Amino acid sequence: MGFITFLEKTGNLFINFLKATGSIFMFIFKSILTGITPPYYWKQILLQTIQIGYFSLPVVGLTAIFTGMAMTLQCYSGFSNFTAEGAIPSVVMIAMTRELGPVLASLMVAGRLGASMTAEIGTMKVTEQIDALSALSVNPLKYLVFPRIITGTLLVPFLVLIDDILGIFGGYLVGVYYLGFNSANYIHNTFVSMETWDILSGLIKGAAFGFVICSMGCYQGFSSKGGAQGVGRATTNSVVASSIIILLLDGILTFVLF
Amino acid sequence: MSNNNKYVLEVKDLTKSFGDNHVIKGISLHLGKGESYVIIGGSGSGKSVLLKCILGIISPTSGQVILHGTNMVGLPPKEREKLMIKCGILFQSGALFDSLTVLENITFGLIYGYGWSKKDAKEVAIEKLHDVNLKDEVLNKYPSELSGGMQKRVALARAIATSPDIIFFDEPTTGLDPITSGIINELIVKCTHEIGISALSITHDINSLKHISDRVGLLFGGKLIWEGTNQNLWTSDNPYVQQFITGSLDGPFTT
Repeated sequence: MGFITFLEKTGNLFINFLKATGSIFMFIFKSILTGITPPYYWKQILLQTIQIGYFSLPVVGLTAIFTGMAMTLQCYSGFSNFTAEGAIPSVVMIAMTRELGPVLASLMVAGRLGASMTAEIGTMKVTEQIDALSALSVNPLKYLVFPRIITGTLLVPFLVLIDDILGIFGGYLVGVYYLGFNSANYIHNTFVSMETWDILSGLIKGAAFGFVICSMGCYQGFSSKGGAQGVGRATTNSVVASSIIILLLDGILTFVLF
Repeated sequence: MSNNNKYVLEVKDLTKSFGDNHVIKGISLHLGKGESYVIIGGSGSGKSVLLKCILGIISPTSGQVILHGTNMVGLPPKEREKLMIKCGILFQSGALFDSLTVLENITFGLIYGYGWSKKDAKEVAIEKLHDVNLKDEVLNKYPSELSGGMQKRVALARAIATSPDIIFFDEPTTGLDPITSGIINELIVKCTHEIGISALSITHDINSLKHISDRVGLLFGGKLIWEGTNQNLWTSDNPYVQQFITGSLDGPFTT
């Protein structure tokens, strides 16, 4: 009897998981399908470009610069035991471009933008503003969701690139001004092992993460129920789900792009 | 598809269930041109669900919603959007877009729904704003800078900006003081009796009901249990109607 109950509960959990996954995919599919046909809401795309591309720069930049600094210091404490200090610039570069840049930039964007998207759309949902959009013959998926998904997918790679540059620069600052590396050598060692694929693989990851953040942010906003508490719950779900998916997807993409 | 042009809106045998919870149980009603039909009923009687089913915000389980001769149930979104452009809706909360100014709110449907130029849309917006007794000064204000009554009037201006044939009012006077309620009621009467727009409203407000309704339907337990003219309502001996209009604690309505 206990085993049957266990199977029942596990089965229910699995079915609910499949339902939720299907619902998310349908939501994204419908949004893209309605979004790719005219009319296009260019003003919305421009607003999202400013929100995602411009206003995220400080938080992404600060994270990158301090991560690059900390990374250089930590590497130094390990590498100096093997007199391998010369490898530090390359290691920092590879770590930032392939892994830390895309993941950290995306996690910061998920925290900042994913949450704000869910809160904004969730509030619109519970205050009937989304119903009002439909009533005014404007498809909410086309007006609210598609511009966010497309802008997020295209602009998070740009943020990743900024993250890469500032992370490497942070490493350079600590390496040269704190650890006493020769500036020219540090720069040479950074670029000598750099390959286009290092940068490109990070940008591909950034695009995938941007898509996830905006899709989840909008989906959770549309799923908001009740009042302020419902919007708060949806916002938490959005950030948690985006962060977990980013980390899972990072593992998968690293294997694929390795 | 029906070609019956006698009514601008017909609802036939509409049902809506959420799992085992049958909220709407086979409602039929019709709305003539320039007529004001008001649905009344206690909390939880299914008024809001009925309105959302009629508007297509939620899909009914069965039945038909015939707008200008076309059944809206199951219609593809694009065709539905084309038909809905003939409808205006005043939501209970006003539902103004809080990131847009009053002007942008009123012109929104004209620009994005009808494809009007900003200049033409602005002219109409100013005209509609005057219709609801508001001055040009509020045009560049955001909804959060307006009082509740002003927000409702802006929402009404937005609803009538597209010159709709039908306006749906969801609790139009809820949360307003008696004077502002009176202004909103007057505006609704003006829309129906002077401009000839049909109106379907749901309300709890007896005073509003008295002013704006031509015909009234009483909803109870998901069914339309009484229907009649405004005059019939006040003389009806139906115990549900009696209790509702007198607000008595004794009667078939239980809390």
